[in-house]
Amino acid sequence: MMSAAFKEVCIIDDDPIYQFGMKILMSEVDFSEQILIYQDGQEAIDGLLQKLGRGEALPPVIFLDLNMPIKDGWDFLDDFVQIPHNNREKVTIYVISSSINPADRERARQYEVVGNYIVKPISSENLKEIIAAHG
Amino acid sequence: MVVTQELLKRTPLPIAVLDANLRFLACSDFWKQHVPDTDSLLGKPFKETMPELPEELYLDFHYCLEGVEHRTDTLRFVDSRGHAFWYEWKVNSWLGDAGEVNGLIVILEDRTAQKRNEELLERAQEVARIGGWEVDLIKGTMYWSRITKEIHEVPEDFEPNLETGINFYKEGESRDTITRLVGTAMEKGQGWDTELQIITATGKELWVRAKGEAELLDGKCVRLTGTFQDIDKRKKAELEFNALSHRLQMATQTSGIGIWEHNLSTEEVIWDANMYAIYGIRREDFASAREAWDAVAFLEDKDPTVNKVRQAMERGEDVSTMFRAQRPDGDIRWIKAFATTVKDTYGKPVKMLGVNWDITELRNTQLQLQQSEASLKGAFENSRVGMALVGMDGRFMDANPSLCDSLGYSREGLLAKTFQEITHPEDLDADLEMLGEVMEGKRETYQIEKRYIHRNGNIVYVYLTVTGVKDIHGKLSHFISQIVDITSRTEAENRLKHLLDLTGKQNESLVNFAHIVSHNLRSHATNLSMLTQLLINDKIEEGQKEYALNMLHKAADGLHETIEHLNEVVQVKVIRNENLKALNLSKIVEKVLVDLNTQIRQSQTTLQMEIPAGLKVRGVSAYAESILLNLISNALKYRHPDKANRIEIRAVDTGETVTVTIADNGLGIDMARHQRKLFGMYKTFHNNKDAKGIGLFITKNQIESMGGKIHVTSMVNEGSTFTVEFLKSK
Repeated sequence: MMSAAFKEVCIIDDDPIYQFGMKILMSEVDFSEQILIYQDGQEAIDGLLQKLGRGEALPPVIFLDLNMPIKDGWDFLDDFVQIPHNNREKVTIYVISSSINPADRERARQYEVVGNYIVKPISSENLKEIIAAHG
Repeated sequence: MVVTQELLKRTPLPIAVLDANLRFLACSDFWKQHVPDTDSLLGKPFKETMPELPEELYLDFHYCLEGVEHRTDTLRFVDSRGHAFWYEWKVNSWLGDAGEVNGLIVILEDRTAQKRNEELLERAQEVARIGGWEVDLIKGTMYWSRITKEIHEVPEDFEPNLETGINFYKEGESRDTITRLVGTAMEKGQGWDTELQIITATGKELWVRAKGEAELLDGKCVRLTGTFQDIDKRKKAELEFNALSHRLQMATQTSGIGIWEHNLSTEEVIWDANMYAIYGIRREDFASAREAWDAVAFLEDKDPTVNKVRQAMERGEDVSTMFRAQRPDGDIRWIKAFATTVKDTYGKPVKMLGVNWDITELRNTQLQLQQSEASLKGAFENSRVGMALVGMDGRFMDANPSLCDSLGYSREGLLAKTFQEITHPEDLDADLEMLGEVMEGKRETYQIEKRYIHRNGNIVYVYLTVTGVKDIHGKLSHFISQIVDITSRTEAENRLKHLLDLTGKQNESLVNFAHIVSHNLRSHATNLSMLTQLLINDKIEEGQKEYALNMLHKAADGLHETIEHLNEVVQVKVIRNENLKALNLSKIVEKVLVDLNTQIRQSQTTLQMEIPAGLKVRGVSAYAESILLNLISNALKYRHPDKANRIEIRAVDTGETVTVTIADNGLGIDMARHQRKLFGMYKTFHNNKDAKGIGLFITKNQIESMGGKIHVTSMVNEGSTFTVEFLKSK
């Protein structure tokens, strides 16, 4: 059996259906050994900072939803870019949203850390492309 | 003795001879001045037959009878009836052969008339301030009478001579003149009569009339006599009068005022030179002023003018009139005349004295003024711009129909008001401030946009221009206000603004709608699509299939719910003013609290309420209920886990609106983070399982649709206070 493409990736989304689907798709393309799931932006930032605190590396790929309670995707991005650069230089964030609003896509592009904006539903093809990009 | 008797009788003196018993022996015809019938006196006693005489005379009789040879006296005597007499007498005793006193010879003269003249003369001199003087050129002495000395203000013992006398004359013309006149008089015997100035001993300047005469003997002047009169008062008055009449003459000449006189008894009319000048004619071209008048008087005005003046003359009144005159060159002039009747001492009119002057220019100016006033008045009355004259106290002095129309007042009604009374209270200060600057002279005019209150209570929007008007002395006297009613324009603007608001809100709804469609609707749809895709492609392991189906069901439910929300959002729209109803606030709150009864009890919440009874808001009852239900249930839902939950509901009447506050001591919201999107759709700020992010969004929309506002203050762990402004129902 081939080893997974990534050791660890992160999903930030409050939608259990999406989480369920993503897990199935990821295992299908053997995307990652481990999947970190946060329900909203706040939980994600807290979790990632704790990780850094323990001296662990950040996951190289983060799938970020925009519409979440408490701290939405935008707020997460604003907080995330505050993390010292050397800790997040190998991180690529993929914004995964059901919004087809071009304004959202344009806004996401403003963040250097954002690798792509993917409109839901995400497919196994999308995941394969990401693996290829990180190859 | 007969001869002697006859001689005595004819003696030209009032003489009488008495015996030792004072009986008349004889008297001269001149005695008649005392008693007319002298013959009847003979043999009669003196005292009984003579009129009342001074006691001194009888005393002298007595002395002479005693042996004194001669007594004489002159004295003033006032008789018992108060009449004054002057008597002069000489009494001699006549002796008999033996040297005994046989009787008396009496000369008694009544000097009353003569003395009176002397007295009068002296009095007259005193009153007229006339003194006398005399120079004896042979002796080289000079005599001044008492009054002369008084006029010169020298002491009574002053001894003048010709030189000192002349030196009293004022240096220059007066002294030169008197020196010349005295010289001529001494040389040629010519008298003088002149008016000159002297400087008195005390330094006063005085006008005097000096008269002198020379007395020549053998061609040589031996004496100068004369009078000296103080004429200072008269002279000064005369000089003043001369100056005055000169000035008057100059004034009338330069001002072109003609003076005329109409003698009533002779019917003679006299004109001065100005009169001819006024009419542009020459005096020498006419035989009389009357003829000149006939030539220049304007035909239509002639008889009325003449009649008016004659009527005034006959009644002895003053008259003022105006008439036209035609000059020889055809130019018609307007003449103003003023005349007064002069009466004699019996009050009978004797002449009319009048002045005429040309008022053509003045009248033309007046006519122009009248015309321009008339056209101004016309503009004032007919202008579509409101105009008013406003007094310094703000009172309307005049207002045109356009302004009355704008403000809903009659002219009288408006004139009873001040602009302060009908100005919108919020605009008054700005207006007064500008007006103050005009009053202080900082500016002459200003323009502002302001509001008046129409008589019916409505607001009138105007564009006001105020200009200060100064009186002839340059002092501010009143203001001219021009008022352009822009109410319809402002109302249109407001409608437009309202429309813009509405469009904005509708646009906002549309954005929300788009958001729901693009995000929420899609999110459920994509979930459905993803799940079905996984199921169709058989990617789901057997053990997870049930879970997947469950998810599918959830996604379908979510889709349904979102479509419901969509429906709600679409339904919230701006409600027209007339569809808002009066709602009793406390009743609505009560109803909401009944609905929430269970939650309140379960959460052990303390409720504090302050809502004035009968306070009414304008709105739609379903919205008002929904708003309050949402806010109160939020306060219940987001309570603090460590604190006893407390909610305060208050309503305050703020005049135009009613402010309802719902304050809790719950979790609070991080305002720094969430303020911007607090009322946005699908925004939740707590990890609450019931939070859907739709409540506040709907609430805000409902509030705004009723013309209200909502805002919030909050602190994390302290609590939140939502403030809702409803329109007040009056």
